[in-house]
Amino acid sequence: MMTQTKTTTGTILHLQRLSTEDGPGIRTTVFFKGCPLRCQWCHNPESISPKKQVQWIGNRCIGCDSCIEACDQNALTHTRNGIQRDRTLCTVCGKCVEACPSGAMEMLGREITVDELAAELLKDRAYYQKSDGGVTLSGGEPTLQPNFCGDLIDALKQEGVHVALDTCGLCTPETFNSLAEKADLILFDVKLIKGEEHQKWTGVDNKRILHNLESARDLVTQAGGRKQMWIRTPLIPGATVTEENLKAIGFHLRMALGSSVERWELCAFNNLCRDKYTRLDMDWNFSDTGLMTTAALEQARSWATSGGFDPQRTFITGAARAENEFEK
Amino acid sequence: MTTMTTEKPRFTIKEPKFLSDRIRWLRDYYFQGVNRKWNNEYSAWTTGTPWDFQYNELSFYIVPETYFYIPTFRSSFKQVAKPVKLHPDFWSWSLPERRAWFVRETMVHYVPKEILPGDLLAGARFNIMTSHCLTEAQTKEYDRLVKGKNGARAAMLWFHNHGYGNTGATSGHLVPGYDRVITQGWKGIHANLQQRYDALSPAERKGKKGAQLRAMLTSSTMPRDLAQEYRVILEEMAKNEPDATRKAELAQMADNLTRVPWEPAQTFWEAVQSLWLTHMLVMSDENYPGPGVSFGRIDQYLNPLWEKSLAEGMDREFGKEILKCFWVHCNTAYDGMIQTGGNQGITAGYGQLLTIGGMGQGGTDLTNDLTYAILEVVDEMSPILEPKPNVRLHRGTPDRLLDKVVDMISSSQGAPFLLNFDERSLAGMMLESRKTGIEKLINKDNVFNYAPVGCLENTMAGNDRSGTVDDNLNLLKAVELALTGGYDLNPVTDALTGHVEKIHRDGEDTGDPSKFTSWEQFWQAYAAQTRCIVKRSVETYEKSEAVRAKFFQTPYLSCLVKGCAESGKDINEGGAEIGFVTVEGVTYATTVDSLLAIKYLVFDKKICTMQELVQALLDNWVGHEKLQAIALHKAPKYGRDDDEADTMAKQVMELWTGETWKYKTISTGRQFRPGMLSWNYWIAYSDILPASPDGRAKGKFLSNALCPSNGADTNGPTANANSVGKALGGKAADGQGDWEEYFNLLPNGGSHTITFNPSLLRDPEHKQKFKAYLRGYIENGGSALQINMINADMLRDAQKHPEEYRHLLVRVTGYNAYFTAIGKELQDEIIARESHNM
Repeated sequence: MMTQTKTTTGTILHLQRLSTEDGPGIRTTVFFKGCPLRCQWCHNPESISPKKQVQWIGNRCIGCDSCIEACDQNALTHTRNGIQRDRTLCTVCGKCVEACPSGAMEMLGREITVDELAAELLKDRAYYQKSDGGVTLSGGEPTLQPNFCGDLIDALKQEGVHVALDTCGLCTPETFNSLAEKADLILFDVKLIKGEEHQKWTGVDNKRILHNLESARDLVTQAGGRKQMWIRTPLIPGATVTEENLKAIGFHLRMALGSSVERWELCAFNNLCRDKYTRLDMDWNFSDTGLMTTAALEQARSWATSGGFDPQRTFITGAARAENEFEK
Repeated sequence: MTTMTTEKPRFTIKEPKFLSDRIRWLRDYYFQGVNRKWNNEYSAWTTGTPWDFQYNELSFYIVPETYFYIPTFRSSFKQVAKPVKLHPDFWSWSLPERRAWFVRETMVHYVPKEILPGDLLAGARFNIMTSHCLTEAQTKEYDRLVKGKNGARAAMLWFHNHGYGNTGATSGHLVPGYDRVITQGWKGIHANLQQRYDALSPAERKGKKGAQLRAMLTSSTMPRDLAQEYRVILEEMAKNEPDATRKAELAQMADNLTRVPWEPAQTFWEAVQSLWLTHMLVMSDENYPGPGVSFGRIDQYLNPLWEKSLAEGMDREFGKEILKCFWVHCNTAYDGMIQTGGNQGITAGYGQLLTIGGMGQGGTDLTNDLTYAILEVVDEMSPILEPKPNVRLHRGTPDRLLDKVVDMISSSQGAPFLLNFDERSLAGMMLESRKTGIEKLINKDNVFNYAPVGCLENTMAGNDRSGTVDDNLNLLKAVELALTGGYDLNPVTDALTGHVEKIHRDGEDTGDPSKFTSWEQFWQAYAAQTRCIVKRSVETYEKSEAVRAKFFQTPYLSCLVKGCAESGKDINEGGAEIGFVTVEGVTYATTVDSLLAIKYLVFDKKICTMQELVQALLDNWVGHEKLQAIALHKAPKYGRDDDEADTMAKQVMELWTGETWKYKTISTGRQFRPGMLSWNYWIAYSDILPASPDGRAKGKFLSNALCPSNGADTNGPTANANSVGKALGGKAADGQGDWEEYFNLLPNGGSHTITFNPSLLRDPEHKQKFKAYLRGYIENGGSALQINMINADMLRDAQKHPEEYRHLLVRVTGYNAYFTAIGKELQDEIIARESHNM
């Protein structure tokens, strides 16, 4: 039971239950909408804009044109390639989503109060308890909605639920400290160590991120075992996967963060999100990039560990490209 | 009576972990199917009277696929039946005595006996069709009750054709008291029967009770006499065997049979031998191979002798070798119609279920070394159909057992066993005890001795037949009748003649639903129709139950079921101490989702009128595609952990299960109870039941047992399990459930299947997470779970039929996406990966 009601409202994309990739145990991952970075490889393009968006999923469409009839702005047309949306006209009013009978029109982003969301998240409490799992706040960037995020962590902590904060680290030190203070586990993304590279690939410099990373270290150290930190580095061919970058991150982790890092995850690139870009009428520089080979992943791992960070605590997550077994 | 002449393989010392030459040969030989020289095909046996017949059609009323062939089966078996020379006094005996003598005579003196090469267990052929042993007058009465205008067959066909379901008094589906045979031997059972018979008054001896006990006395000598026939063969084989190792084995097998199954077993080998002969004769007695005749807690009652033999020097691997022979024997049940059905049997399922693991008194865990040995046997013998293993899990299940279970799931692309969940199951068993006042028979000090039979149906062991497949009711029929005020939506057309039946009001007159102004009115109409269909199902069942009670006794099986000797009643007359008949609710989620859709479309959102909805169903949604899409994709659904939808699910559950408790069979006094097992009816009735308000078109599959509708569980396996637990009654807020805080409205239990992505089990860390999922399921889920793994074939099917796989989540690179929402190119890549993984 909630001791006090929390009506703080936030915008989230969706919940991923039985999530096994975002921290320890069985978790529910909350995807927040909105992100301050513009990583060119972004796997969740629908999470970038803090505003709601509408997308059309072609193979769900039954061709009834109810959406076109419902649109006050004449933003929709039925073409050979399906329903096309003129996003300059679309006001994201949601009438087409309401009118669509088959779920082909989908609203990305929904507003929800802390209480509603916490109640939803507590439904899997039994699985969290049996697995030493919990809830992971991810996105998008949860720290972009600091009040909502903070109240949600409070509500969950009050119920004894383990909370992981999955962050890119870009927010004010005050925001970062207050949220990282509350979380049990910080999943901190370190993508590129050099400022100019970071600027080039994500659109922002990483000074503030590295500063918050040091704060995270201090918080973990002060908590004396009651708080953990995992570092996550996306392995993006041509961007983050260079010997220089991975070795340098590893070196930084060893030198600057030491024992505050429980685990370093190297997250293999995946291309499953290609269709998401198409549905949002967005271009993607990585649409032709395939999954990495096992050899490439191993190479990345050896570069990473050459920086001196404990190989026992360095993990590759995700899978390699399916390689033809006859191709030997 | 000859022995096998198949070429003998050479045996070498077995290798641990892998199949020995002996077992590999037996297993390979079995899978040769119709090409085998030896098989266990039915042989039919007659008294020689012109009116005689063998085929017991009542046992097949629950198999709609056989309806066309019932007369053919009856005449075919009659034609090929060979005469058995009758005892001079045969026709002066009562019917059960005639059956007992006839089955024993056939098995002991007529059916050929062979030992397969290398086999460690005697007892090969058991599939027989024996005479019903009726007099001419009895046959006439039987035929009137079965084939007459108001007979069982016509009633059952009407029930089926109109989409209500099917019912029939079916054999098997119980755990016989095998533990008593192991510890007391048939000698003990025989002595007990003799004592009871001796205690009867002269008048009682002359009556039904005396006749039944004499029949059981005759039956109880069948295993002894059959064992001696096999012993003679084995001694002869041992004498002629050149290979010293095999010679010793054959001599030991012969020696075992000098004691078991008549005497208590002294070694593990004897125990398994005793168990097998006893078990196979149940199938002979019932004239039906393996229909859910289940072993119960085999790792408990065999364990004392497992431990004793290990202590006396039995090699553990040899103990497993004996079990593996037992495995092969169980599979020969499928040979029943091997020539007519081809190898079909080998790919079907009968359900000789065995149970391992689980809790004992006070919640202590009873896992032992034999539990693990049996799992190893399952692992090493898989894939193979019988016997079907069921692993019982509970809060106290040790990690080691769960690790083994998860390892086996990950290496088998799906679980080679069913998982049963004790706490939820026990709550259901306690409920049936409380509901019917049988606390003396089921209480907190013995309820943990329950075991599932057949597929997953929970019963007590050794004193319980709960008719777990006998009454299968399509719950959806009540929605159809409520939409029309009691009429079938579509007329029934005779498949053979094309004759279209006139539609009558067969249901309740619940009024014209287009006049209903509130959801509550519709719900009341639905409730009235549910009362009507449950009543109709128990009345239809009664017809075959009454015929079976009168004309088809199984005195041998009755020896193994407590209550029969005590009451002097055959098990088929309701002699078992515990005797329920289970109404298995079919089409549950389709029903719940249809009610949710009616509420959503007509009352809450007013998207259409009741008339428009009924018209759409009459048109099978053709021309109403938009409405259909809303029903499918916008109306709430059970299975998503959505409290509003799941509340409806629970209301439906409470309503229909409540109705079943109102009835008992008239002829045998058996109480009806609820369960959910759909066997294949969710497919079979998809063409008989009309389109449903949940958006399902006629011909599309109905929902399976307790599972959410196909594609409805969009929130994944935890939400799916939570919904199922809530539908069963959930947990008591005050902790006072029927077992600890648990409730279970279905004492029989309900079948639940979840499909997982193999990447969930890809490494030790993920296996730990999967283990935790199972521990979470113990808390929140249902009574039984079958686990499937996504495979490439399923993904290819999903490419073709995306509408049925909207929930299918694929996880690649630790990233989740709905398979049907991604492009074909990427889908192909994922399929390639899954194929690769295998």
